[in-house]
Amino acid sequence: MDLKRYLNERSLIWLALLLAALLIPVFFGTNQYAMVLVTTVLLYAVLAAAWNIIGGMAGQLDLAVGAYLGLGAFTTGTLLIKWNITPWVGMLVGGIIATGFAFLIGFPLFGFKIKEVWYALSSSAMVEVLRVLFLMWDGVGGPTEVYLPTVISPLYSLRFNTYIPYYVIILVLLIGVIFLNHRIRSSRLGYSLLALGEDEDAVEVLGVDSRASKLKALMIYAFIAGVVGGLYGCIYGFLHPSFFSTALSTEIAILGIVGGLGITYGPLLAAIVLVSLKEYLRSQLGGGLEGLYLVIYALFLIVVALYQPRGIAPLLETGYQKIKSLFGVRADVKSQ
Amino acid sequence: MLKVNNLTKKFGDLVAVNNVTLEIGTGEILGLIGPNGAGKTTLFNTISGLYPPDRGKVIFKGVDVTGWLPHKVCRMGMSRTFQVTRAFTHMSVEDAVRVGAYNRCSEKTVSARVDEMVEICDLADLRKRVCGDLGLASLRRVELARALATGPDLLLLDEAGAGLNTTELAGFMNLLRQLNQEHHITLCVVEHVMQMVMGVSQRIVVLDSGELIASGTPAEMSSNPTVIQAYLGKRAIPC
Amino acid sequence: MVETATQSVITGVMMGVIYALIALGLSIVFGVMNVVNFAHGEFVMLSMYLSYFVGTALAWDAVATPFITVPLLFVFGLITYYLLIDRTLRQMYVVQLAVTVGLQILMRSVALIAFKAQPRALQYSLIQGSIEIGGFTILTSRLVSAAVSLIIIAAIAYFLNKTWSGAAMRAASDDLDAASLMGVNYHRTYALTFAIGAALTAIAGGLLMSFQQTDPVGGVRYGLLSWCVLALAGLGSLPGLIVAGIIVGIAETLAISFIDPRARLLAPYLIFILVLWLKPRGLFGRK
Repeated sequence: MDLKRYLNERSLIWLALLLAALLIPVFFGTNQYAMVLVTTVLLYAVLAAAWNIIGGMAGQLDLAVGAYLGLGAFTTGTLLIKWNITPWVGMLVGGIIATGFAFLIGFPLFGFKIKEVWYALSSSAMVEVLRVLFLMWDGVGGPTEVYLPTVISPLYSLRFNTYIPYYVIILVLLIGVIFLNHRIRSSRLGYSLLALGEDEDAVEVLGVDSRASKLKALMIYAFIAGVVGGLYGCIYGFLHPSFFSTALSTEIAILGIVGGLGITYGPLLAAIVLVSLKEYLRSQLGGGLEGLYLVIYALFLIVVALYQPRGIAPLLETGYQKIKSLFGVRADVKSQ
Repeated sequence: MLKVNNLTKKFGDLVAVNNVTLEIGTGEILGLIGPNGAGKTTLFNTISGLYPPDRGKVIFKGVDVTGWLPHKVCRMGMSRTFQVTRAFTHMSVEDAVRVGAYNRCSEKTVSARVDEMVEICDLADLRKRVCGDLGLASLRRVELARALATGPDLLLLDEAGAGLNTTELAGFMNLLRQLNQEHHITLCVVEHVMQMVMGVSQRIVVLDSGELIASGTPAEMSSNPTVIQAYLGKRAIPC
Repeated sequence: MVETATQSVITGVMMGVIYALIALGLSIVFGVMNVVNFAHGEFVMLSMYLSYFVGTALAWDAVATPFITVPLLFVFGLITYYLLIDRTLRQMYVVQLAVTVGLQILMRSVALIAFKAQPRALQYSLIQGSIEIGGFTILTSRLVSAAVSLIIIAAIAYFLNKTWSGAAMRAASDDLDAASLMGVNYHRTYALTFAIGAALTAIAGGLLMSFQQTDPVGGVRYGLLSWCVLALAGLGSLPGLIVAGIIVGIAETLAISFIDPRARLLAPYLIFILVLWLKPRGLFGRK
């Protein structure tokens, strides 16, 4: 009886959040700056929520989201430019390319008994390699920005002059990824990944193919990142090798860890807090202190890793329970 | 069911398993004994795929599984428990068992199998508890349930009786007999607790310093001078 | 063409030995503690800046700066270990890695803010100039640096083999429980290991400053180069480390000469990834 009530309560919270998210464009639609901010927050949230699958559930420190994002962006953009293919399709192709690439990196590195650190280092190197490669590849623009055209209609080529449609698309994506997180956790893959994080040997002996499980998680996440990459290119309106960004990759990993590894709403929470903080700092400080947000990110990461490795989401949970008991509501059974 | 031919495993210069050949027949309960450091766990690890052997073959159900990855060996029908319990510390008992159950079950049937395993291993009142909170005896049952959930034809038990008191031991021995007779699972039991090994095994093999030194019925083994020597051997206290 | 290639190879060999020295610190820490310090390259960057400031402030010849920078980095290593690493040893691996990633970003961002993007260089008196051998020009400073690196690597090898602390480090890497039983306080051993790893970067930093500039983002490059060398060499073989360093060094210089200066890190990265794909234990690895 209690449990049912609690589940409904959680769903209510999610619904409330969704409502708030839907109302944002209604109230702030004309404020360009606000729309850019919330769209950016959601963009980071989607990437971090996807990262949760490889980072939180599979326990791998992936620093390659920039690689998949960039591949998705360049695929989508090039398809549009060269063959007038709509990004609605291009994004999916971008996702597939990113997935294929992920497989190439993951297959050798997820072998049984290979130390996890090599994947982390490889993934970080990958982003840089791709960046330099695309920088030297004049066929897709090299060091110059390649602008995306508006072909047939803004809807067809996903080039709008307001952020509202982008916001809606990303919101839908975010909902999808959060839902996906849920589904995976209660599936065979989810249980296998959870156990993998505990003891890889013991789990193999129980019939779980550790490499295949990690690869599945990686490929799902890479696909999402590739799709988001396609959208990313459309939002910015151009392609550039700087999309293969190690900074972005580390920031997403930080969001995932600080938010709470494996906790579904963790990345969303971290994105809201940290990305807003970052934008605030960047607008307030100038002249050389712009990098300060990175210092703060790094400190967050270190402090969380040292003292609260489960992330800040559980803190929120405890805080929420305390507030409720203050209001005399009976304490609920924790479900996670 | 299982044939091990000339199996050898070295770690650098240390030969942990030296040219071991043994057989386990279908439906048997085989006891594997030997002094500490004799290489019993390494033998298990090599057979179940955690280490590839340096030489020799492992033939399971007629198929050469030498060097196969552990998950493939498990899919074929071999399961094992660990000497030092390797529990999934942050997971609940039923979640841990569920991981094993997926080996044979689909999403639809997995819950039923978890229930079944929990029943057999008497874990019903502990099923929601987190593994990290449990005591040794319970953990051993969780390990067993987990391994059983994979639906093995052959189950290797590595010192599963260690640290149990007399009552727990008796219960455990009954459970093993039940698994063997009712569920038709072949067992290979590594044990130090003589009472358990002698009471439950139909046949015994003895390992010392990586080599197989004797095999026979429990009665034969307890009076075999080579076996006694191996146990008392280097640390013999003259009476 | 052959001349360019040979010149590149010569330079590459010398740089490679120095890279081996940089990778040595990483290798020792990884081998003993199974921890990869993502901030290792930033340690090199830090030691280069320290070398610059000490050399400038004290009007010392930069070859003397390690006398100050080595103890400084040693202490820095100790602090880093006790503050960050020791506490995360029992955590999930992701978290252990995350802490050093955080340190890396922290050091780099702070350096960017403090030092701005402007590179700094030192003027050397003792080992300036160049030598002509058979038509090829060799920077004296590079040659001396390579030689010193070799000596240091050999010294460390001796230390690991012959002294108690060294043996303790080797024991801790092989079997933690056995080592504890033997009375090795693994916290102290780990701290010492980490501090030595840091101190080694001070030597490398000083050497590098004799012919290179330093900038805040240089850490990325040195970090990646050292992981490259480590992956290629595998663990447990110091001669292997030198060979791996040389291969990486040559790859880098050849890439600069024959492909594109922008591709200078591409060749080492590709080696890195290929090695991990094909021979994850490295060419000479023992573990």
